[in-house]
Amino acid sequence: MKRIEVKLHLPAVAPLLDVIKASADSLRHDLAAPLRLDSLDDEFRAEWEAELVAAQNEDVRLLLSLFGHEFFGTGIVALDGTNAEAVVRACSAVRLRLRTGALAALPDEELESGAVEVERLAEPVRRAFMCYVFLATLQDLILNNLDEAILGP
Amino acid sequence: MPPASSATTLPQTETHAATTLGGVWHVVLLNDPVNLMSYTVAVLRRVLGFDEATARKHMLEAHEQGRSVVWSGLRERAEHYAFGLQQWHLTTRLESDETH
Repeated sequence: MKRIEVKLHLPAVAPLLDVIKASADSLRHDLAAPLRLDSLDDEFRAEWEAELVAAQNEDVRLLLSLFGHEFFGTGIVALDGTNAEAVVRACSAVRLRLRTGALAALPDEELESGAVEVERLAEPVRRAFMCYVFLATLQDLILNNLDEAILGP
Repeated sequence: MPPASSATTLPQTETHAATTLGGVWHVVLLNDPVNLMSYTVAVLRRVLGFDEATARKHMLEAHEQGRSVVWSGLRERAEHYAFGLQQWHLTTRLESDETH
């Protein structure tokens, strides 16, 4: 089984984990990307939402489990076929939640281009933005290294 | 699932009737400014079985025009794909031909 281990810079990542955890917690009952499927009947839609929220919770749980006790000892996160898909999805969910929460005031163009003047941001927004970038980096890393092995059709 | 041989004996009119009754449904991918382009391409490949070029074409269409029809056909299958895309946090709509 293909597996990658990533050594993260603990002093840089540790302060971000509280923000990730708070965003993750706020997703417990809501979808990160709300359903826009008006054509579904109410009962079917409720079933879908419940199933999607449950799957999202499990993905987020696996993301957070990367940063457990062992991580604080070694700074290493390990990704393989058992968690990579879930982690890449959870990163997307948390990024979407950060976008609509702490980063709501930033224009789309700035976020998409990465042309955000970090030093001008207030501290909570700066930390949220660093999380946003960190999770994208983690996604990129998984997609670049495990795409064919794990995320292929 | 019926054996492959039985599928080939279905009268063509029956298939046509099913399509007409259900109508044609479109799975529409909406642009979002958060998900990475590489992520969207990977998800389209994973959920819809697209090759890299097709996935990239739809991703760019959604990015530039706000939406891209990624699949069309019977409603049940359209729902299956829409659910799959939502599971990966790509925002989708289901539209029937009748809504246009």
